Amino acid sequence: MAENISDLVLDGNAAAGCLHEIFASDITIAQIQCDACSSTRPVGSLRLYAAPMGAVLRCRHCDGVMMRAVNTPYGRWLEMSGTRCLRF
Amino acid sequence: MNDNAPISRGFGSGRRAQTPKDRVPPGQYVTTDFPVLSAGPTPQIKVEDWTFALQLGGSLIGKWSWLEFEALPQTTIATDIHCVTKWSKLDTVWQGVTFDDLLKAAEVGGSTAPFIMAHCDGGYTTNLPIADLVDGKGMIATRYDGLPILPVHGGPARLLVPHLYFWKSAKWVRRLRFMQHDERGFWERLGYHNYGDPWKEQRYDGD
Amino acid sequence: MTATEAVARASRRLRWQIAEVREIVIETPRVRSLLLYVAGWQGHLPGQHVDIRLTAEDGYQAQRSYSIASSPESELLTLTVERVMDGEVSPYLVDELRSGDKFELRGPIGRYFVWTVATRGSLYLVASGSGIVPLMAMLRHREFHKAPVPTGLLYSSRSLEDVIYREELDAMARRDPNLHVFHTLTRKQPDGWVGHRGRIDKYMLVGALVPLVSKPNIFVCGATSFVEHVSSVLVQLGHDAFAIKTERFGPTGG
Repeated sequence: MAENISDLVLDGNAAAGCLHEIFASDITIAQIQCDACSSTRPVGSLRLYAAPMGAVLRCRHCDGVMMRAVNTPYGRWLEMSGTRCLRF
Repeated sequence: MNDNAPISRGFGSGRRAQTPKDRVPPGQYVTTDFPVLSAGPTPQIKVEDWTFALQLGGSLIGKWSWLEFEALPQTTIATDIHCVTKWSKLDTVWQGVTFDDLLKAAEVGGSTAPFIMAHCDGGYTTNLPIADLVDGKGMIATRYDGLPILPVHGGPARLLVPHLYFWKSAKWVRRLRFMQHDERGFWERLGYHNYGDPWKEQRYDGD
Repeated sequence: MTATEAVARASRRLRWQIAEVREIVIETPRVRSLLLYVAGWQGHLPGQHVDIRLTAEDGYQAQRSYSIASSPESELLTLTVERVMDGEVSPYLVDELRSGDKFELRGPIGRYFVWTVATRGSLYLVASGSGIVPLMAMLRHREFHKAPVPTGLLYSSRSLEDVIYREELDAMARRDPNLHVFHTLTRKQPDGWVGHRGRIDKYMLVGALVPLVSKPNIFVCGATSFVEHVSSVLVQLGHDAFAIKTERFGPTGG
């Protein structure tokens, strides 16, 4: 695990496995639009935090949380209130 | 766990430190480093700009600047911490202001409310019953191992509630809001357990 | 249907499969390549990664992600692993694993950080340390198809003995006038070294771009701090941020 502050953040494509479990497909090449600032990018290019606990994907432009995903033994959780839309 | 998972010959043997079972909750392994996990970029807060508050209803019943906070009674504890991602760190030393001393300083005599939501720089939240903060169970910590807590570990100040999984020890805490009714915080509303007792392995909602 | 076409069409649930170690190649003192046989492997795209899972006798499990080093055209799946000091998984993979051992693997994962010979435009690759791994899959795929894509690689390593795939990269560059490989050694350089020294900077990035005439597809891979630094310099140099694809190797690789 990271001691180095700058090594905490990953790219969205590192969440591909976790997201694949939730979406049953690879969404890292889907275009995602931030609800806060309207910028649109591929999911794989977002900043990924908190990788061991779940995926917290943040907008590259405004750092807002766009998507959060957690895989638990009881089910998969997905929260996307920070996303205006996702285009597959 | 997948019962059919093949055993990887030689993996894990000796790697995890030998520790007495009563110190390490089930499913945890002891680490000597201090892993970092954050839901967002590390806030860089100057103590001159930092304030901490207790909120009840619509008003702040206590508010302290950094200097005022440092002047409150300080408590030092040695404790073990347990992260839901399975690492545990033993004998960590923290210094800060206990929740009991905060209530005293805010002159909160009467009833407050049964629950707390911790609000933090960066937007992180976590919820707790008051009962898990009083009687020395919780503090606002400002020093780790005798030194100011590094920003990446939650400095200038973090909540410390070591008897629960460490996601409850919210980093960059700025305000504790009393609540009449429990509300779920950042991870609690996304599949994690609402309470988080490591000794009962309450990692996820459903455990 | 080619291996890459198969993957491009597949959209299926990830499932754990068994990988069997067939061969181990010592790349550098800290780095090994594991050549794996995975029954029923459906193929992959250059740049994708896999998750692997190890299970100890007491049931403890650890999971990590590793980029695939082999091209889709290879028979065996290759993962190249660097031993991280005090890491939990990489020392096992580098020091303990033997031919015949098995572990769980699932993938391929991630179509974002991918390049194939079907992609238009030139190719610019920037890597540090084990960040070279997914880019090597791209280069091996490129070589297999003898694709005349103008390609530049700028590769940062600590010392000459730490350069992963050194001979293979040199040989590729010798054989192919369209491939330009630039090395920088950050800590130790041998006598007579004529390559770059020190951390990658603006001048090295510009120099490695010179042979690429058209606007390149850019892939940057390595530790987060490296990737952030290189990306911001490339953006300052006028490259479109959207054309830069990054893969940060974070703490989960330990």
